[in-house]
Amino acid sequence: MEKSSNSKLEEKEQNNIEVWEDLVSIKDLVLALFICSFTTLAGYFIAPNEPPKPLFFGLIGALIGFGICSYFIKPKRTIQHDEREE
Amino acid sequence: MDAVLIIQMIMAAVLAAVIYSIIGIAPGTDETAVLAPVTLVLVLTGMEPVVILSFFISGIVAKKLADSVPVAVAGIPGGVMSTPMVEHALVLKKHGLPDISIQKMASGSVIGTLIAVPVSLVLANALIPFSDMIKDYANPLFFFGAVFLALMTKNKILALVSIIPFALLIQGLRHLYWGVGVVPEGTNVFISFFLGITIGPVILTLFELLNKEKRTALQRYGKKNITFNNKKRFKGIPNPFKILTKKEIGTTSLASLIGSFTFIMSPVGITIFLGELFSSRIKDPVKKASRAISSMDGLTNAAYISGTLIPLIALGIPLSPMAIGPANALFNAPPVFTLEHNMHHILSSADFVVATLIGSIVALVITYFIIVKFSGQICAFIFTKIPHEAMLGLFFGLVLLLAFMDAGWINIGGVLLIGLVAGVLHRWGINYGVQFMVLYSAPWIIAKIVG
Repeated sequence: MEKSSNSKLEEKEQNNIEVWEDLVSIKDLVLALFICSFTTLAGYFIAPNEPPKPLFFGLIGALIGFGICSYFIKPKRTIQHDEREE
Repeated sequence: MDAVLIIQMIMAAVLAAVIYSIIGIAPGTDETAVLAPVTLVLVLTGMEPVVILSFFISGIVAKKLADSVPVAVAGIPGGVMSTPMVEHALVLKKHGLPDISIQKMASGSVIGTLIAVPVSLVLANALIPFSDMIKDYANPLFFFGAVFLALMTKNKILALVSIIPFALLIQGLRHLYWGVGVVPEGTNVFISFFLGITIGPVILTLFELLNKEKRTALQRYGKKNITFNNKKRFKGIPNPFKILTKKEIGTTSLASLIGSFTFIMSPVGITIFLGELFSSRIKDPVKKASRAISSMDGLTNAAYISGTLIPLIALGIPLSPMAIGPANALFNAPPVFTLEHNMHHILSSADFVVATLIGSIVALVITYFIIVKFSGQICAFIFTKIPHEAMLGLFFGLVLLLAFMDAGWINIGGVLLIGLVAGVLHRWGINYGVQFMVLYSAPWIIAKIVG
């Protein structure tokens, strides 16, 4: 799983770290944490103050943050197709 | 139960099946971390308990079905519970059979679900007469649960010694909040501490990134290289009873039955033990691997369902690793649910049966068919479109929100502190089970120490 040290990869930049079993870039991670925290809390605070609306808005905010991050941040994975016919 | 409620349950189940199929496929998603925050938010919104239960059951079934996909196509576990299957799935992948591997695992899951649902309902009803006796001893039971789980870890003494300091940290913060008046005295902050423990490992890593020496010393990687084979497509309508051989159906059923009875044990441990036991005498590597993954997948699914349903129906207190982890919100999510007033007390037997059936059938129908037919395409989409950063951001945002709701801004610091300590404990091998048991028994432990 963690054999990312083959020669092909070493030529590229190595600036990703492992958090929770997958790779992230520190810069993108910080960005994602800020974006999601902001959208979630913003959703919570702009919601009408009658429960459970703040929670629903917060949840929607979190999902919007997730969407924004998925759009702007590229996953740190490369896919190779195995063409063997067996 | 009226038609409107049933429609709501079906809609909730469909939503859960879609969300958790995606999350299940994304690599490295811990079951507790992905199931607990969302369920908690739903419970706190005051949604009907039956609707939440069908959402949750559909979520676990879909998550279990989906997390076999990255195991099969890329040898990457989709969650903690699928880790034991990687070794066997890699054997099939090496023989160019990742599609067979997915079909066997997903079919194993179906059998696990079909067995676990009735068995759990029957077992739970058989346990009800003993529940009053068990409930009276809930607090000491959580403490002994912590001790028992600590003795199961690698560093037993380390785990045992950590119990009291960790209980002190939890109660210390609660007393502080009462002292400064952010929380009324006697109200135990629970949800956000629970989530702090859950994302502890991530919080610890984030703190370490702020330490220059640690940051430069961290191992750096390029991109994660994932090789997979997705040209084959399943033709026709998949049928688990045809995909699995008779022997595989037999061992999967037996493993699922045992998994339902051992709901109080660690599901990962049982999975490794039984999976090896049932496949060790088979010589042919491909047959051996198929037998192992189908029975392991059936078992994990059964352990999930029984670990949630049995304590929920029979006891009303979360006395299983599954109940105290991912399913926690169904037992304790103050102010909506408490140990004295939760789904156990609110729902009737018929409610449990209907919600479980709707949840599991919806998830099986949607996720099983989609996964068997389109696993390669879905996997490629998620691997190339969904960054891990976004997943971490999503859960961090939810934790922040729930921390703020529990006790205001000060609690964000409190949750970071809990996460920091929990992350260190986790890294030392003191698993979530021990920490959650301490969270539950902290008031009792401190009361006993003070005398």
